[in-house]
Amino acid sequence: MRKTDTTGEYAIPNVRTREASRTDELPMDSDAFAGFYQRSAPGLRAYLARVSGNPALADDLMQESYLRFLCATCPDGGEVNYRRYLYRIATNLLRDHWRRPRAACIEDVPERLLAAADQLSRGDSQAILDPAMARMRPRERQLLWLAHAEGYSHREISEITGLSAAGIRLLLFRARRKIARLLRKSGTDRRQV
Amino acid sequence: MTFRACSYEKELTQALKDGHWPEGCGPELRAHVDACGNCSDLVLVTQTFRLARSESEHATPCGSPSLLWWRSQLRRRYAATERVSRPITVAETFAWIATVVVGIVFMASQYRHGLHWASWWSELVPLRILHVLSIAPVGSAQVDPNLLLFISGFGVLLLFSALVVYLASEKF
Repeated sequence: MRKTDTTGEYAIPNVRTREASRTDELPMDSDAFAGFYQRSAPGLRAYLARVSGNPALADDLMQESYLRFLCATCPDGGEVNYRRYLYRIATNLLRDHWRRPRAACIEDVPERLLAAADQLSRGDSQAILDPAMARMRPRERQLLWLAHAEGYSHREISEITGLSAAGIRLLLFRARRKIARLLRKSGTDRRQV
Repeated sequence: MTFRACSYEKELTQALKDGHWPEGCGPELRAHVDACGNCSDLVLVTQTFRLARSESEHATPCGSPSLLWWRSQLRRRYAATERVSRPITVAETFAWIATVVVGIVFMASQYRHGLHWASWWSELVPLRILHVLSIAPVGSAQVDPNLLLFISGFGVLLLFSALVVYLASEKF
């Protein structure tokens, strides 16, 4: 299911040829970047925090994602593609982070180490979503957030995560059913309390 | 758990994405969602995640973009410097390899000739060297070929060593 990456570099995706990916050209100027950052950073931070379950790590990875974004040659197509590219960098950084300490695949990381302890916000939706997310696998959190919070299609998620679109469809179906059951249970428990 | 796609899923996903659910959707779709487990899951999960995302966006400020811009400039500059200094690194490597090769060849040649270091050092009196190199007539029978080899090898070794030290000091 997982596509193999023969380059060995996960953090900066190869969207162009090696010759074209030289860091000679800036993707945008300072003002344009400031605008893009204001529009994209909250969403990216929420994604990283929700998937990693660690707000401090999310901050670090978000900064690193933007730095790599600025140092790389971005794909054409405007802000939509920039944003997708940014999520791809962030996803690869998350994967690198999970692989680094124990050389384990994302699915092999124990749930207790990745329990979503996010304290970004304390709204009602978080009170229901947090316990449910904590019981999901990291890969499931990733797919659910990209599909339902960011509204990405299966093809776009495939580009971001490196998984096949067919695999994403199945994984997402299972993850959605699982979290829906947890959300209903959580909502029922809250009403009883 | 079996994977079974619902025919309304695409329409429902689009309605959720566009914010048309539920008011902007027809009674048929709404009735279907009430009856279909997959679609009701889709509605519940999408609405919960959208709300969570919306609340997360307003929760914490994300820092200054100008600081990130400045850091990216530094990183790009460092990368450019690295790219420019790559030929120097190659030259350094070549100098190191050449020095090692010359040293090995020199030592091997001396080992083959018997390593008479004590007698050579006694001949390395400045006047003796002067005599050998300039005063003595060419083709003189007194010139020791081992001594000439030693002097030339030692000179080359010194030259390369100096080059290596210079390049290394330039780098650090």
